[in-house]
Amino acid sequence: MECVITIEIGTGAIRVSAFDLEGNLIGYSKGSYPTFHARPDFSEQDPEQIFITMLYILKNFLNEKIYSKKYHVISICFSSAMHSVLPIDKNGVPLGNAMVWSDNRAKKEANDLKNADLGKTLYKATGTPIHAMSPLNKITWLKNHEKDRFQTTSKFLSIKTYIIQQLTGEYIVDHSVASATGMLNIYSLQWEDNALQSAGINKENLADVVPVFYSPKKLKKEYQTSLGLHDNVKIIVGSSDGCMATLGAGVWGDGKATITLEESGAVRVVSKEVIQDEKQRIFNYVLTEGNYVSGGPTNNVGSAFEWYAKQFGDFKKAFDLEDCMENLVNDASKVDAGSRGLIFLPYLQGERAPIWNANARGVYFGLNINHEQQHFIRATIEGIMYAFYSIGKTLEEHRCIKSLSANGTFASYPLWTQIMADVFNKPVHIKENSGPDSVACGGFLVSATVLGRFKNLEEAAQKVKLLDGYQPQQQNHELYGKHYAIFERLGTKLFDEFEAIAELQQNS
Amino acid sequence: MNQYFLKKECKELHAFPHIIEFALKKINTIQFDSLKKETSHFLRFYYVIDGRFDWMIEDQHHILYPGDLAIILPGQRFGGEKDLLDIGTVSWLHLALPQLERNGKIALGQWSRLTENEGMTIGKIIVLNGCPVLSKLKEAGMLFQNIYNEFLNQEIGYYARINQLIDELFILIARQLTRQNNSRRDFPQTFMKLEQSLRENLSHQWTVEEMAALVGLGITAFSEKVKNYTGFSPLNYLINIRISEAIKLLKRQDVHVTDIALDVGFYSSQHFATTFKKLTGYTPSDFRKKNIPETE
Repeated sequence: MECVITIEIGTGAIRVSAFDLEGNLIGYSKGSYPTFHARPDFSEQDPEQIFITMLYILKNFLNEKIYSKKYHVISICFSSAMHSVLPIDKNGVPLGNAMVWSDNRAKKEANDLKNADLGKTLYKATGTPIHAMSPLNKITWLKNHEKDRFQTTSKFLSIKTYIIQQLTGEYIVDHSVASATGMLNIYSLQWEDNALQSAGINKENLADVVPVFYSPKKLKKEYQTSLGLHDNVKIIVGSSDGCMATLGAGVWGDGKATITLEESGAVRVVSKEVIQDEKQRIFNYVLTEGNYVSGGPTNNVGSAFEWYAKQFGDFKKAFDLEDCMENLVNDASKVDAGSRGLIFLPYLQGERAPIWNANARGVYFGLNINHEQQHFIRATIEGIMYAFYSIGKTLEEHRCIKSLSANGTFASYPLWTQIMADVFNKPVHIKENSGPDSVACGGFLVSATVLGRFKNLEEAAQKVKLLDGYQPQQQNHELYGKHYAIFERLGTKLFDEFEAIAELQQNS
Repeated sequence: MNQYFLKKECKELHAFPHIIEFALKKINTIQFDSLKKETSHFLRFYYVIDGRFDWMIEDQHHILYPGDLAIILPGQRFGGEKDLLDIGTVSWLHLALPQLERNGKIALGQWSRLTENEGMTIGKIIVLNGCPVLSKLKEAGMLFQNIYNEFLNQEIGYYARINQLIDELFILIARQLTRQNNSRRDFPQTFMKLEQSLRENLSHQWTVEEMAALVGLGITAFSEKVKNYTGFSPLNYLINIRISEAIKLLKRQDVHVTDIALDVGFYSSQHFATTFKKLTGYTPSDFRKKNIPETE
């Protein structure tokens, strides 16, 4: 029997999944690698360890779950996190670790550019808000702070580009990942000269831009042998995790939006046109030519709830965070919506959309003598949902959203999705039986389209079955609306105080 | 409690070649230069019974209160902040060890009843620990008190008892350190600390026992947690780091393949070559040839 493999190069782990040609999940496996923080703002990963982890996991997975069941692999499709930068020398050897998406060292570079006229021009051309995580600013940082490394660099790659180059010899980057660099013209799909100039590089310093359906010529012989793959196995460059999650959640066309709930999260829509937001709050990534994924990311979803669990939860078994969180969610469900007027601003790691303020901080507001721990837990979850809602409202200034599709680890708590439905006053759907991983599902849909099973991605996306899910409760929505109004005002009113406290924390 | 002071020359210590000094001292007046900052070559434990002590350990300022225990490794600089012993009561034990390297092993010696493996693991935990002061460790005070009583009374069996009590002190310290260093809540954070220790000592032949002890878990629970979190068994995770580091060295031209194998912790270049080829499809030297142009 034939099967397709998807490989997701995620923030902290490689996830390998296999699907039969009908899209049924055969199995999956994952292997993690560490993120190094040499300084508080630095987030780096070792490209060689990512590569070896990928080989190791893939090889074991194929032997144990695929070949043993007589499956024949016909394609391998990649996806990856966005915003990574890996400098390599003229021999293709990495010059140090890769900066990953969460690396914040280019804060100053980003601010300077954002306040310059060029910043506005670049947002219009590239569709990407100017922020520290964007590769454009990371490369500028290298130019300003590590001259030697900058000058020895022959190319600046994304991690996925490096992995695919190791396997096939080709330096390529897909439209989706390229459009998240802040350097790709989102209309012409060519590198944007203005951006390259500002970073001090030229086209030759970047990989070649290709569509997400592109297949490199072939897998190197040595890897064919060690992985037991045929020489005609199709390698597909694929897309970014954000675009794949959107596609895999079945979101395509008017009135639909998807919400991803992992450590961080995002609200996204797919449309034929780029959203040009005057306040530059919304990103636009290319899925395929003429199809854009637009939306806003939030920094604090699972990370904020896990923080709460680790500090205040009850660990019956050592290190059993899942068990602890489940009990917390259970406790939260015992109190009424609105947490008796306790409001949580979840900005523990600053915030991106829609306030784009790296200095924003967490707040519990409205505390009175009657609040109990259960109210704190529920307020924490509600605060995370208010943050999503604020992104959703920003998107609704440009698009009409009628229903939501939720995915990611934290979408599996019914209480979370019900609160989401109530806060948004829209039905929330969950994808049928393929687990929480819609990134892998998106990878399958891209593969199946390349293999000719669908005419295009639009048709492929219709294949995703969504369950009816959660209906909004009007009464709760009205209550949440009153709380949200205060939440929104606090986020703006506290601006000066956020600046002041962030500065104090910087020096402590 | 009376004062008590045993030095190497004392006949009470003839049966204990590993004990360099044992003392219980009450300080009533300040004497200049009574605790000068210096580096010594033995392992030192100080338990504070009364008072407040201002000490410098490896250029870090520590203030110790009653119940606190300081552990100073051989080669570390230690002394009073003002080069003197403050007013108060303190008990100490200085031990000679046959072997101790900063990033290597502590071997306790023949006198100890700990198994070789336990002794090495405890040594590792103490060496890797970045925090030389354990606060509020009353159990250590009990052990010091018992050692003192045994020396004083010299009843039948006191030789065995004293060595047992020192073993117990080591066990107590190791358990306390792993508990203190790990919240038992945040596995990713705990694992990152372990990861860092593995990388810093990559040529060491790590065992699962050692890794589990550093995290403060039993072997079964530890292996299960690691598998769940990383997707690998502890030893396979280690191989993963070893191969990644080896790849980086192979892509440079100045290190010999045999040296790479040993540097990253394979016990032979044969073992390295087999593991490398199985995973990547290349032998290490082929991998080097294909990745680096020969002209240069």
